[in-house]
Amino acid sequence: MEYDENGVSIVPAELKKEIFEEARKDFRYEEYVRGCLNCGVCTGGCPPHRFFDFSPRIVLQKMKSKDPELIWTMMDEYVWACFQCFTCAMICPFLNSPGGVIAILREIAVRRGFESAKKVLKPYSRVLLKLTAYGNQLSPDMIQPDFFPDWGPHIGYASTDLAVKRKAIPMPTLQVTNLAWDVAPETMKELYDIFDEAGVFKIIEAVDPSLYEIIQDIVDDVRSS
Amino acid sequence: MSENILVIGGGPAGLNAAVMLSELGVNVALVERDSFLGGNPKKFKYKFLFPDMQPADNVIGELIKKAESGGNIKVYYSSEVSDFKENGKKFDAVIKSASGSETKTFDSVIVATGFEHFDPARDAKYSYQLFDDVIDIKDLERMMGENNFVRPSNGKPPKKVAFILCVGSRDRHVGNQYCSRVCCTVSVKQAIEMREHFPDCEAYIFYMDIRTYGFFEDLYWKAMEEHDVQIVKGRIAEITSGPDNTVVCKGEDTLLRGPFEIPFDMVVLASGMEGGPQSPEISSKLGIELDEHGFLKPENVTLSPFKSNKPGVFLAGACTGPKAISDSITEGAAAAMNAYTYAVKNR
Repeated sequence: MEYDENGVSIVPAELKKEIFEEARKDFRYEEYVRGCLNCGVCTGGCPPHRFFDFSPRIVLQKMKSKDPELIWTMMDEYVWACFQCFTCAMICPFLNSPGGVIAILREIAVRRGFESAKKVLKPYSRVLLKLTAYGNQLSPDMIQPDFFPDWGPHIGYASTDLAVKRKAIPMPTLQVTNLAWDVAPETMKELYDIFDEAGVFKIIEAVDPSLYEIIQDIVDDVRSS
Repeated sequence: MSENILVIGGGPAGLNAAVMLSELGVNVALVERDSFLGGNPKKFKYKFLFPDMQPADNVIGELIKKAESGGNIKVYYSSEVSDFKENGKKFDAVIKSASGSETKTFDSVIVATGFEHFDPARDAKYSYQLFDDVIDIKDLERMMGENNFVRPSNGKPPKKVAFILCVGSRDRHVGNQYCSRVCCTVSVKQAIEMREHFPDCEAYIFYMDIRTYGFFEDLYWKAMEEHDVQIVKGRIAEITSGPDNTVVCKGEDTLLRGPFEIPFDMVVLASGMEGGPQSPEISSKLGIELDEHGFLKPENVTLSPFKSNKPGVFLAGACTGPKAISDSITEGAAAAMNAYTYAVKNR
């Protein structure tokens, strides 16, 4: 992406139009976007609206405006403020789904490897690596203060001497810190097939090319084993 | 020999139709399901009517008096049409009441079976019947009518009251996409009444659109300019309980505040109008069409809104859709004229 002298990205109008068309063409669009009377019930009941400048009513209105400029304004950080709880879709008196619109826009941001998507998904690269390498989502060695600030003041202590603490757990464990459970190679191969079919690898390539390379090496190893 | 016409329903529309036909010398059988005449305005003790705040009794009471004293009207209380058959161009109807069944032949029929108030308990977000201090417009009308305007929870006068519009109307979740037409004006009227009688009590109206159509707009201005009613754009998403025995309205003020949670002593829900169970019932009994909103369907909504699809069966009042009392009275007269013409032609 190009930037002007103030660091503001220069986005060609064609790209904005393309993004709008891509959202419009989504098979879920007609189901999610219906009439809207600006009643504000969605935003009134929206949990993130309490914390961020985020309003599902604005999401739906901007989508309905069919103005690529307005839709573009949501493609940066805005769409990532949504919790995807779908309270809005549940309470809208006209059966709209602003949360659904957000899902469509997020998927576009991810597919196209937008900066905002990269930033938001960065913390998940460790999870992705663990998942593709071992079929585990989370293992003891991933518990580190930098990654889990929301685990409270004792995260520092919790992340030390993992091997010893693991042994102290009064139930059978694998007695290792890099795995939570054992996954058979056949299961891993199936998982990769699913990832292939669902386009997960393509998404990883768009969002984090270096992670993609590491993962591809692992995948090749497992598949040829 | 004079004509015989059946009028089903003794609300404003049916009453006016019966009274007008009676004045023309027609023998009218007025079938009313309740033990009294006057329909919903009487049942729920409406006190003052918009737009001129005249006592409801001036209108409804007057019509009832005329109907009960009109020599040509036979009123069947607590009764229903239990069977209905076409007989050439005429109709054979069985009128069932406590005193038994009576079969009569009528030259034409007027259906004025009216509406039902939407039951707000059907929409859980309003917490109606969960919190004592959440009431609806018909409850408030009754309280005002009985001079008993207090908080149901503690019997004390409220200091801050919210009126919430579009309850059960314009809402696909409850199956009513239509606007109930009168609730905006009724709520504005009630807010004015409340401010007049209880000036210490603040009034808020939460709206999506204010539809005080035509001259009813005068009341809207009056509420704002003379009675300092707070009018906030934003539909309520949820009603919860708050501190100090309050009920909290949660929503988005789409123009000014953004998200809000405002505690009130009392909340009045402007519940809308529905065709009620009587509409499909009468539709199948008389073989007339029902529309997609659950009301009876006029043959031509613009040219002949008072005609059903069945020749000789006419429609009046809120059975064809949400309507103000004045419109119902007008339609009662229109249906009377049409029913009379049909009867005379086919005598």
